[in-house]
Amino acid sequence: MEESPYIVEMRHITKRFPGIVANDDVSIGVKKGEIFAILGENGAGKSTLMSMLFGMYEPDEGQIFIRGKEEKITSPSYASHLNIGMVHQHFKLVSNYTIAENIVLGVEPMKKAAGFLPCVDRKRANEEIAALSKQYGLEVNPTDVISKVNVSTRQRVEILKMLYRKAEILIFDEPTAVLTPQEIDSLLRIIRNLRDGGKTIILITHKLEEIKQVADRCAILRRGKLIGTYDVASMDTKEMANLMVGREVALTLEKAPASFGKTVLSVSHLTVKNEDGFPVVKDVSFEIREGEIFAIAGVSGNGQTQIADAIAGLLPAAEGKISILGKDLAPLDIRSRARAGLSYIPEDRQTTGLVLDFALSDDLALRRYNREPFEHRGVRDQKTTNTFGEELIGKYDIRSANGVATIVRSMSGGNQQKAIVAREIEEDAKLTIFVQPTRGLDIGAIENIHRQILGERDKGKAVLLISLELDEIMQLADTIGVIYSGSIGKIAPASEFTTAEVGEYMMGVKHA
Amino acid sequence: MLNAIDTIIIDGLSFSLPLFIMAIGGIYSERSGVTNLALEGLQGMGAFVGGLTAYVMAQHMNPDSQLPYYVSLLVAMAGGCVYAMLHALLCIRFRANQVISGVVINVLGAALTGFLTKAINRTVFGAASDRFVLSVSDRITVPGISKIPILGAFFTKIYPFEIIIIVIAVIAWYFLYRTRFGLRLRACGDNPAAVDAAGGDVAKTRFIAVMVSGALSGLAGMCFAYSILANFSSSIYMGYGYLAIAGYIFGNWEILPSLGACLIFGFARSAGSEIVLALGMPAAYSDLVMTLPYVVTLLLLVFLSRHNQAPRALGQTYDKAQR
Repeated sequence: MEESPYIVEMRHITKRFPGIVANDDVSIGVKKGEIFAILGENGAGKSTLMSMLFGMYEPDEGQIFIRGKEEKITSPSYASHLNIGMVHQHFKLVSNYTIAENIVLGVEPMKKAAGFLPCVDRKRANEEIAALSKQYGLEVNPTDVISKVNVSTRQRVEILKMLYRKAEILIFDEPTAVLTPQEIDSLLRIIRNLRDGGKTIILITHKLEEIKQVADRCAILRRGKLIGTYDVASMDTKEMANLMVGREVALTLEKAPASFGKTVLSVSHLTVKNEDGFPVVKDVSFEIREGEIFAIAGVSGNGQTQIADAIAGLLPAAEGKISILGKDLAPLDIRSRARAGLSYIPEDRQTTGLVLDFALSDDLALRRYNREPFEHRGVRDQKTTNTFGEELIGKYDIRSANGVATIVRSMSGGNQQKAIVAREIEEDAKLTIFVQPTRGLDIGAIENIHRQILGERDKGKAVLLISLELDEIMQLADTIGVIYSGSIGKIAPASEFTTAEVGEYMMGVKHA
Repeated sequence: MLNAIDTIIIDGLSFSLPLFIMAIGGIYSERSGVTNLALEGLQGMGAFVGGLTAYVMAQHMNPDSQLPYYVSLLVAMAGGCVYAMLHALLCIRFRANQVISGVVINVLGAALTGFLTKAINRTVFGAASDRFVLSVSDRITVPGISKIPILGAFFTKIYPFEIIIIVIAVIAWYFLYRTRFGLRLRACGDNPAAVDAAGGDVAKTRFIAVMVSGALSGLAGMCFAYSILANFSSSIYMGYGYLAIAGYIFGNWEILPSLGACLIFGFARSAGSEIVLALGMPAAYSDLVMTLPYVVTLLLLVFLSRHNQAPRALGQTYDKAQR
């Protein structure tokens, strides 16, 4: 038999799910010791393809060869036996266990207590993890409990989990989605080191910059089909983006010069406490003017969501004053605040933003169903609601299977988000709050939402943008406030910040 | 002659310990991620098959023999275990709602054992009775130590099952916190996907955990039948199972703190009885006093359980294909 040049080869893989072909005749080959990227929009079939390599699904058609030998990978433990490891997008960690316990779970070192009782040897586990962590420069403290450590540490734990199992082929599923710029740099460095140490890396991502930075080759998938496999060095990001989306995309948006009007939102000395009475937002003050996009940058969980919730009325303000156009919001409930000129695109579109089991038209009318002409004397007018829905579907390019009658749960995340944005923008409020508006969306949908945000600003509205995506903030914001541990450390025009600087404030490394 | 405090300790222990072993069963099930409201039904079913066994054996044996006693405890564990498999099957294999399954197990258990008791009495023993009367269990008093004031009460008039329970509890603790199986079991209740990715079998682990809860509940039921009732009848369904649930919730799903909670319930109950006795209140009031553990439950709920954290994956069916 001819020696295969590939350590991993997937030939003519097809995988169908009810109503969708997730992978359609996809063939890729990964060489030993390279960083191989798999690029594609959400729903392009990247994760499905890799899940088959990791034994979470089995392909309907096609073959998988590992080290030149055909394998039926039926379970993650068999994949692990073939020295394949995977860091999933959603970490698979036990939150009340220590780092060491998480890593050894499934392959625990054992000892005999009192000479005969089998028991898990925690001491040895801790020592082994400490040594492994040192060997690969992945700093963790084996005895820390997972729920007490931050996201990037958790990711290092996931990587150590693979290495502890002697994985040679390491799959990373969207590893940078949850990290800050500094953390991303450090992760990419780790990935490079692993490759230099002889490991083979497969990197699933939709971020072009990262591929450009670390990958040797990349396969591009679009709607389940393989577009091609390319040498990264021979392409620029623009070409990759076009291949990925299948049309010309604007990577950077045209942004008109800002012209600010009078102050719309004024927040002064706002403090918000959590259920335990611990302040999560500490003495925060800022103002947003007409025609201004004010962005709050920060690592997840530093109080930014609570600021938005306090403004919208979802959380009580412990101290401080919030006013819109000089009107104090304190005595107003949520609906009255909306009437006073506030629109809100919440962080979690599925639990806070939409009633998932409603028809699209009803979800689109959630802000106005109780007003004329959507109701007459307490009876709803479905016809008006539907007409309004159809209008918005056209205007905001919301795609769905059955038009206004579509049940929202069945729509894609991007279209669900477009529906929320449509509903809130149509209110024509003075202030619109966007919290993580593009989380989990692909390039096409992101472009659409970004245009809407800029459109609001250009109409002279005030926009509060809260995002974990630093690129998004740098692209859209006129003014940036960086939040760390509940306090906004620095507020300045976006033009006075560099990306790296914002990152430093976000980590609390640099103080104003 | 025993004084009131001794009696409170002796009776309190004999009530607390079965409650405690049942709570451990609940902890096993729930730490693995399966909600278990079925403890009540499981202990009743255990007591039923155990009681029936003891009753049948006693008919053919020397009335002084303690063998039926020990055999019945074993059979009760097996009975609870098998009955629990129904709950496991519904919740894990068929992904039924775990709360509903638990309630069904309880209602079905009470109805079925009540019916079967009467039917068996009538057809097999030719007697119109709704209970299996059990022989009286021996009680052990440790010589010497039992003479120590107050502390000695812990070694006075002990039911043999109390010792069995303590031994099993220690083993259960060791398994849950020290072994590979326990590590995986507790991981299943927090993030089953982690266990799956690590090559463990979530469904199997949970199935075993629910079976353990059945066995321990069955044991507890039989102990109640021997100590409180001296028979098997439908009065076994007094809500002890729910009390055990309250016990491990206050114990924050950990074994040792749950022992504390169960002891509080037990002593509240026995102290209540002593107060009724001491005040010479009419019997009708003793029923009122029997509500004491439940009142204590309510109060504890208000003050203590705010910071308790249920296993994160509790009540969620685990579907491999879902990401």
